[in-house]
Amino acid sequence: MTDCGCTKAKAELEEYLHNELESHDAADIREHLAGCSDCSSELHIGVVLTEAVQRACKEIAPEQLRDQVLFNIRQIQSTH
Amino acid sequence: MAVAASTLERPRSRSVRAEHIVDLPVMTTLNTDPRALFEEQAIPFLDQLYGAALRMTRNPADAQDLVQETFVKAYSAFAQFEQGTNLKAWLYRILTNTFINVYRKKQRDPYQGTTSDLEDWQLGNAESATATGTSSRSAEAEAIDHLPDSAVKDALQSIPEDFRLAVYLADVEGFSYQEIADIMKTPVGTVMSRLHRGRRLLRGLLTEYAEGRGIPVPSKESVGAKSTKTSTPPPATRARQKKTTPAGSTAAGSKGSTT
Repeated sequence: MTDCGCTKAKAELEEYLHNELESHDAADIREHLAGCSDCSSELHIGVVLTEAVQRACKEIAPEQLRDQVLFNIRQIQSTH
Repeated sequence: MAVAASTLERPRSRSVRAEHIVDLPVMTTLNTDPRALFEEQAIPFLDQLYGAALRMTRNPADAQDLVQETFVKAYSAFAQFEQGTNLKAWLYRILTNTFINVYRKKQRDPYQGTTSDLEDWQLGNAESATATGTSSRSAEAEAIDHLPDSAVKDALQSIPEDFRLAVYLADVEGFSYQEIADIMKTPVGTVMSRLHRGRRLLRGLLTEYAEGRGIPVPSKESVGAKSTKTSTPPPATRARQKKTTPAGSTAAGSKGSTT
C-alpha cells in the first residue's frame, strides 16, 4: 500500500459500518480511523446516512391491518 | 421445579429445537396451539414488515395487501418453520418472494430494477454532489442529519428497487450480508454492490436535496443560506451527531445500535 491506509479503510468502510469485518480487520480500520480525520469524516457521513434512513423508515401498521391479519389467520385455522 | 429439573438433566448435545419437540407437554413457555404460537411470535413483526412492504410497493394499499398475503403464507407454512431459527429472516424471505412474484408484476410502474444506464447516470450526478474534504464532509453529514423524514423517503423511493431493498434490509432491519443474500436470493457480492451503490445514490440525492433547500452545502460554500432550514433537531441531537469518532466506533461495536 502506497498510502497511509486510507485506500484500505475507504474500501472497507461500509463493511465496517455494517459490522461485517473480521475482528482483526475491524481493529485495523478502527486504528486507522482514530488517526485519520479524512476517513473518520467519511465514516461519520455513513453513520448519519444510516440513522437518517432508520428514522425515516419507522412505520406503524394501521390498526385495521393488524385486525385483518389476525382475522385471516383465524379463518385459515377454522377451515382446517 | 421437579419438571424443570428433569428437563435440565437431559443431555443437551442435540439441538434445542429437538428438545423442545420432545418436551412439548411440559414446556409451559412454548405454546402448543400453532395459531397462538404464531400470533405470539410472528405478529410482533407486523409493523416492521409493513414498513418494508411500504418501501417495496411504494403505496399503502399494496403494502397492506402484501403484508396480509405474507402473513397468510407464513401461517400456512408455519409448521415448516424450525423453532429456534431466525423467524424475522424467515418472514422477510416470504415477504420478498411474495413481492417479487406477485406485486412487482402488477405494479403500475414498470420494473424498477437495476438498469446499468440508469445506475451510471444517477451515480454520476450523485457523486458530483458529495463532499471530499474533511470539513465539507462534516457539513454534508450535518445537512443530511437535518433533513426531514419525507425527503429521505422520497430519495429511497427514487433509487432502483434492488438497491432500495438492500439498503432497507441492511440499514433499517440490520440483517447481515449473508441474510440479505438469502432473502434476495443473490450472492453476497451482489448484495455488497447493491448496498454500496444504493447508499452512494442516496447520499448524493440527499445532499442535492439539502442544497435545494438552502441547507449549508459542503461543496458549494453556500454557508449563508441557513434561514430556510426547517428541521433543526434539538441541541442534544446535534451535539451527539458532531462526535464523529464515537459514533463510528459505536457503529462497529454494536450492530443493533446502528442498523
